[in-house]
Amino acid sequence: MSKPIYELVDELPTGGLTVMALRSLDFVIPGQWQNLVGFVNTIRTVTGETDESLIQQIGDRAVYLYNDKSQGYQRAMWLYQTVDSAATALGYAAAANKVGEGISFLGFLDKLTPKPEKAQSIDLSVKLVTELVAFCQINGIPGDSIGDFLAALGDYSGESLMRMAALVCFDGLIPLGPSFIEKALSTLGALSPSELEHNQTFKGVGELIPGNDSAGKLNFITQSFDSVKGWMSDFVSSKGLTQENVVDNLMKFVDVSKDKLDYLGAFLDITVKYYSHTGTQTLARRLIERAVAEI
Amino acid sequence: MTGFNWRRVLAPLLLSVLLLVTGCTPKAPSQFSQAQQESTRKGAQPAVAKNAEQGSSFNKFFPKAGDGYERVFTQEKKGFSEAKLKKDGKDMAMLSISDTISLPVAAKKFENSTTKIAGYPAMEIGNTQTALLVANRYQVKVLSRDPSFTSADRKAWIQKFDLNGLSRLK
Repeated sequence: MSKPIYELVDELPTGGLTVMALRSLDFVIPGQWQNLVGFVNTIRTVTGETDESLIQQIGDRAVYLYNDKSQGYQRAMWLYQTVDSAATALGYAAAANKVGEGISFLGFLDKLTPKPEKAQSIDLSVKLVTELVAFCQINGIPGDSIGDFLAALGDYSGESLMRMAALVCFDGLIPLGPSFIEKALSTLGALSPSELEHNQTFKGVGELIPGNDSAGKLNFITQSFDSVKGWMSDFVSSKGLTQENVVDNLMKFVDVSKDKLDYLGAFLDITVKYYSHTGTQTLARRLIERAVAEI
Repeated sequence: MTGFNWRRVLAPLLLSVLLLVTGCTPKAPSQFSQAQQESTRKGAQPAVAKNAEQGSSFNKFFPKAGDGYERVFTQEKKGFSEAKLKKDGKDMAMLSISDTISLPVAAKKFENSTTKIAGYPAMEIGNTQTALLVANRYQVKVLSRDPSFTSADRKAWIQKFDLNGLSRLK
C-alpha cells in the first residue's frame, strides 16, 4: 500500500540539500516558494480556514480523493517520485564506476561522472514531459493536450514555478550551458526510439508518456519540448539567468565550487530531489483546493 | 577457558536499548488515519461516484471574466470543476462546481440553511466560503483567496454563475 498523503506531506524536509538548492533559486522567482510542509499547515495556508472541525473535514476529503485511484493523484505522485529516483539511481551507478579515479572536487565529487550531453538532453526533455503528464493527472486536462498545458504554464506559481525554475537551471543551464534548449532539440531530432528506450529516466516514467510505442512517445516528447521552448527561453532571458549567476547563488547555500560544471550537474542529479519535493507540495495544494470546494 | 566476549554482548545490548528507546515513543496516530483506513479498506466507497457528472459539463456555467478580473480554469475532474479569479496578477478567489452525488453530506448541510441566494439554499462556511446548492445536487462555491475579496464579493460573484442553466443539467 502506498503511503498516506498526510504522511508524505508531513515528512517533507525543512532542510537538507534539496531545500537549500531550491532556496538558492529564490533570486529567480523572489518570494514564490515558501517550502510549505506539514499536511495541516498546508490546509491552513492554502484555504485560509482556521476552524478545527473544518480542517478535519478538508483533510479527510483530501485523503479520500488521493486514495481513489481513478482520480490520478497517486499516478502523479508516482511520476514525480520516479523521475527523481531514476536520476538518483543513474547517479549512483555512475558514482560506482568512477570510484578511485582521483577526480577531486569537494570530496564527494570524486565519485561522480558527468552525464554525457545526450543523456542529459534526454533527461531534460523527459522531465519536462513528466511535468505535462503529471499536470494532467492532477488537474484532469486530457493527457495529450499541449495547448491547455501552455495556457496553464502561464499561471504556474509557487512550488510549480519553482519546479520549472529548477528544471531550467539544474537540468538545463548548469549541465548543458546557455544553449541547452537547442542542444536538447537537436538531440531529440537525431534520436532513435531504441536510444530513447535505453535512457534511464525514460525507463522509469515511459509507460505513462502518451504514445503507442517508443517512436510515438519520442514524437510526443519532441513536440512537447518544442511547444515549451518559447516559454523556457523567455524565462531564461526575462530572469537574466546565466550559468554563472545560478552557480553563484547555489554556492551561497550549498558547498560546491565553480569549476567542472558538468560534475556539478551530476552532483545535483543525485543529491537534489526537487521533483518529488515540490511535486508533493503541488499535489497537496491541488487536492486541498478541491477538497475544500467539495465538502 | 573462554574469556568474557564483550563484542558478543555489546551488539544485542545496544539493539535492545535501541528498541526500548524507540518503543517508548510510538508515533501518535494521525488525525486523518481513520479516513485513511476507511478509504483504503477492501470494498471502500470511492471518493468520486461512478455516475458523477463530468467536470467538463460544468464549465459553461461559470462566470465570465470581467470587471478587471481574469478567469483561469485550474481543475476539471469527474464531478468537479474549478477556476481561479485573478486581478492584477494576484489570486483573488476560487470558483467551483461539484457534484454532491459523490459526497451526499455536502448537500445535506443545506437542509439547515435559512438563507437563499438567487432562490437557492445558501450558506457561509468558515472564513472564506460562500456556497449554494442547485437542483438539490450541484454545489456552487466561491472561496476568497485574498482578504480584500469579501463576503459581499463572494455573494455577488456566486450569482454570476448560470445557476438556472446548471439546474437544468441532465
